[in-house]
Parts: sequence; structure tokens; C-alpha cells
Amino acid sequence: MAEKTLDCLGEACPVPLIRTQRALSELAVGDLLIVQIDHSCAMKNIPEWANKTGHNFEIQEVDDGQWEIAIERGH
Amino acid sequence: MPLASEEAVAHDVRPIAAPDIANDNDRARWRDHETYKALFVNPWTYMTGAVVLALLNIALVAATGKGWGVTTSLAYWGAWIWQAVGGDPHQWAYFAEVKPAFNAPGFNLLKDAGSLTNLGMVVGALLAALAASQFRVKRIKSRRQVAAAVLGGLVMGLGARMAFGCNIGDLFTGLPSMSLHGWVFMVSIFLGAAAGSKLLVKYFI
Repeated sequence: MAEKTLDCLGEACPVPLIRTQRALSELAVGDLLIVQIDHSCAMKNIPEWANKTGHNFEIQEVDDGQWEIAIERGH
Repeated sequence: MPLASEEAVAHDVRPIAAPDIANDNDRARWRDHETYKALFVNPWTYMTGAVVLALLNIALVAATGKGWGVTTSLAYWGAWIWQAVGGDPHQWAYFAEVKPAFNAPGFNLLKDAGSLTNLGMVVGALLAALAASQFRVKRIKSRRQVAAAVLGGLVMGLGARMAFGCNIGDLFTGLPSMSLHGWVFMVSIFLGAAAGSKLLVKYFI
């Protein structure tokens, strides 16, 4: 199981979501993508997309206004 | 990770205060209170936001006689800056013919309701970010990001003057006042946003 980190700090919507979609599509099923974000609207649209498309995810607040979303490629 | 204990939150995608950090225990306690989170941390629903905005706009019309707008005052700010460095924007056709209020004697930032609501918006956004413990100074990612922001700002500024407003002045205020320009703006902004999204995905990301 590989793990990749995607640095989206300082990027505004919809850039983090689109980069997440691209990065995840390059991983194998079961691999983990860690997306670093500091834009609160990406906190909404990335999990929404992951939910809708069937990838498991977990969010962690790593600092004030900064989060890491761990997404496992589900299919 | 504390995600499993976050059952009660309906959307369940919001930040998790980190109770595993010992020093943060006091802060985490009040910040984790459901009422506080609903008011200051989690995003309000679109319905709540719409009702609050409508009430505020009614109050603004009652107080100033005008609906909410943003970009006209930004044009004033730009013109005042130009004036401060020695330019003379008062002769420009836009201010002479379209916005004569700008040339009225004694007109300044404190007499422009739009300038005050713009400042209020910045201060309010700061307070909201602080209340949610989400304030941070963000780094600039790349030169490309700067170029895109400057270019996008210029194009949007020009467009907002040609359209007599932005999302706020044209859609939020223009449409409910039955102004035709709001409808023209709505069709145009959809076309422009569709084209802009294609360019963004193709060249920027």
C-alpha cells in the first residue's frame, strides 16, 4: 500500500479538489493520498466528492485552519 | 484519531479539535461545545445564510436607501489611490457620467456606504476566522498563482464596471429589484464562468 502526500497549502477552490482527483486517479486501489489544505471550502468539497464517488477518507486538523484529509482509493 | 467519537455532527466533515494535544484541553472544551460549533465553526446552511443576508440587506436599504453592492466602491478606492499619486480621475467619463456621486463635493470613504460595508466585510471575515480558530497567514504558492490572481482581478474588475456590478450588486441586489441588468448579468456570468473553468483546468492546475 503506497502513500502519497499532496501539498495544496495556499491554494483556493476549486484547485485542491481538482488536484486531489488527478492525484488519486494516478494511485492504485488501496493506496492512500494525504491532501494538505488550508482553505476551509476544500474541507467541504473534497470530502463531499470522496463520499459521492466511494472513497473512504478521514480528516485531521493539524493546526489552526490547516487540515489533512487522508483518502484511500476505493476502486 | 478522534474521528470515531464525532458521531453527532450531521455533516461530519468539519474540523476535529485535537483533544489528543494536552495543552489544548481548555480551549478544546469550549470550542467543542455543540452550540459554539454550530454558530462559529461549522458552515451555516445555505438557507440560514440566505435569510440572514436578506434581513441584512433590508436593514441596509432602510438605512441608506440602496441595496448591497461591492465593486463600485472598489472602483472609488482605486480612483482615490490614483488621485493620491497625482492622477485626476474626476474627469473620467465613468465618474462624470455614470457615477456623478463620486464627484460630489465632500464625498469620501466615510460617506460611501459601500466602502463601509466593504470594510465591515473584511473585519467580519477576520473575526469569523478567529472565532472558528481558523485564522492563519497563508503562503503564496507560486509566481503562477500571483500572475493568475492579478490577471483574474483585472479582468473581473473591468467586467464588474462594464456590468455595473458583481454577484452582489447585480444578482443579490439587482435581481430582487427587478432590474434587467441583473438577468443579463446572470446569463453572462454562467457563460464566463464555464469558459473560465475550462481555462483554469487546462492551463492553471
